[in-house]
Amino acid sequence: MTMPEFIVAPETVDAVRQVQLPLLAALLLLGAAAKTLSRSEGSGLAVLLPARLRRPAAFGTGVVELVLAVGLLVLTGPWATVARWGTAALFAGSVVVLVLVRRRDPEAGCGCFGGLSRTPIGWRTLARAGLLAAAALGTLGMATTGWQVAAAPTAAHGWVLGIELLLLALLSPELRDMASRALASQPCELREVSPRRTRARLRSSDVWRTNRPVLLADEPEDEWRHGCWRFQRFDGMRHGRRVDVVFAVRVGGRRRTAVRAVLVDRESGAVAASFGAVTTHELLGPPRRLLSPAEAARRDAARIDAERAARTLRAAREHPAGRAPAEPRDGAAVPAQGVGGHDARDSDAGRQPAGG
Amino acid sequence: MSLMTEHGRDRRRFTAAVLGADTAPAPAPVSPRVSRGVVVDATSYMLCLATPEGEERFLYERVTSFWRGAEVGPEAIRPGDDAVVLCAHDGRLVAERVWAQAARVSGVITGCEGDALEVDPGHGRPRVPVAVPYRSSGRIGVRHPRLEPGYAFDAVGVWHGGEVRAVRPATTQPPYPVAATPQRPPTPRFSGTVSGIATWYDPAWGRATHLDPRARVHGVAYPALDRVGHDGCDRRTPCAPLPLLSTGATLRLRNDCTRAATVVPVIDCAAADSWLCDLCPSCGGQGAGRIASLTMTGFVALGGRLEDGCFNATITVAEGEG
Repeated sequence: MTMPEFIVAPETVDAVRQVQLPLLAALLLLGAAAKTLSRSEGSGLAVLLPARLRRPAAFGTGVVELVLAVGLLVLTGPWATVARWGTAALFAGSVVVLVLVRRRDPEAGCGCFGGLSRTPIGWRTLARAGLLAAAALGTLGMATTGWQVAAAPTAAHGWVLGIELLLLALLSPELRDMASRALASQPCELREVSPRRTRARLRSSDVWRTNRPVLLADEPEDEWRHGCWRFQRFDGMRHGRRVDVVFAVRVGGRRRTAVRAVLVDRESGAVAASFGAVTTHELLGPPRRLLSPAEAARRDAARIDAERAARTLRAAREHPAGRAPAEPRDGAAVPAQGVGGHDARDSDAGRQPAGG
Repeated sequence: MSLMTEHGRDRRRFTAAVLGADTAPAPAPVSPRVSRGVVVDATSYMLCLATPEGEERFLYERVTSFWRGAEVGPEAIRPGDDAVVLCAHDGRLVAERVWAQAARVSGVITGCEGDALEVDPGHGRPRVPVAVPYRSSGRIGVRHPRLEPGYAFDAVGVWHGGEVRAVRPATTQPPYPVAATPQRPPTPRFSGTVSGIATWYDPAWGRATHLDPRARVHGVAYPALDRVGHDGCDRRTPCAPLPLLSTGATLRLRNDCTRAATVVPVIDCAAADSWLCDLCPSCGGQGAGRIASLTMTGFVALGGRLEDGCFNATITVAEGEG
């Protein structure tokens, strides 16, 4: 009985059969590498074996897969037939093993790709193994080797490969597992972060640069973690007094708000200054966010009228008690800079929150 | 063993200065209802303990109960025993329950010969020899059907000449080899509160508990210590979504069975608790995974029973965000 030509052309059938060789070889190579490189105790064949045989069994399966993959790629003649029969037997045998494993331990993964295959065995895994066994059977009797197909691909090969890869992707729980692990970002509280990364984030911040002159050493005296925040404590000297400079770096925080710092007087334990955002909420009125430390310092410097300050001081010295100097008349020359407001800002200048 | 209380106080002070006072609450004082020491004298109506504060005497009432591997009478408590005493609500003089020679072994089996095991408790602590006597082997075998190297082991027992005689299992975990325990599922969000089970451990290993300050220290060993600064902590990723902390941090811990709550500092690494992922059958909770390991006295003070080995608990770690 022959298939009607208008449904499946013979060249398409050939293309389908030829593509299986490199595809099966690639899958076997991947499986062999994953089995030998990653730990997969407690999944697949290992479930059926005593503990001492698990590692050798995983290694042995990997070696067999490697040999079969090479056979599919390069062998011709009767040896090629042996490799193809072997591949078909391997996948058909794995269907049986997976059914047994599933019966023994329903939670066990298939171990097909070593430690990557941890999802419990389901119909997808079984269907995939069955499909690959059928694919290996389909390659029997072809003269070409896998390498020849891979070296001279045609458009038909490309189409068949694309469709088959899509089918395999749908049947592979590993891909979904890897994708969900890669896409779901862990909350910052649970995320492990290397000290080097914390250090880089700290050193590139405005808060670090602002406080750098206060520090006595470049290396922290103490380092600890509290949920999202990693803390580093440095020794420092500020206005002749020993202080502890404590930096807090937020794991995965935004660049502008990731670093905070406090300067704590060592003797009294009082907080001498603090830097960085004090809230993660947006400010209610304009400006919507705090200024960067450099910008805040520049504006502060612009507010201080050195000439006027010197004149006021001189006047105060000349008229030490009670009598008001001629300041009010001069005050008109400095618009929108009330004396009280000016002084308040002056005293606050050193404690301007930084980092926005 | 790190008991960095001074160090921890500094860290708490600085954390509070940056993130707000709420993030580092001061540890609650140790409950005066619990005492621990070495038995100096024991009669049928009274117990005399040597403690760091001197001798303490406790009277028995009709309802006073005793545990020494099993429910026993007052005559089973002998001089030289390490004893934990829970006093009655209405006075420190009267003992409500007394545990003698209580021990716990959590870790991975490293050696097995007949009924003798060797268990590695992790965190660089010395390996503990464990004997599984015939009379308790059936009970242990229910939870630990495979006593083979590589499998996790957790049991409560009594000290007996430097080894622990296992009496009852303290885990409900299926017998996986530790290397094959499942990975933690992805956690998309974290709310600051984690439910699971709290267990106990003995930082003093039952030795010289009248002299060793570790015997009565207040704090928890935590299974999710940050790797920086805790080099010896060979923990894995625990199965409960616990925030990473360092020693010195404080957390609010509530016993979900009795509703008793306290604030405890993190003082140590609970490596073995990060290897296990089990439920606590004592009061029917649903939270799986070990979230904290209290010291013996802290566990009793929060309403736990040492022979049960666990209670359902909820911890809250304030972050000071927002």
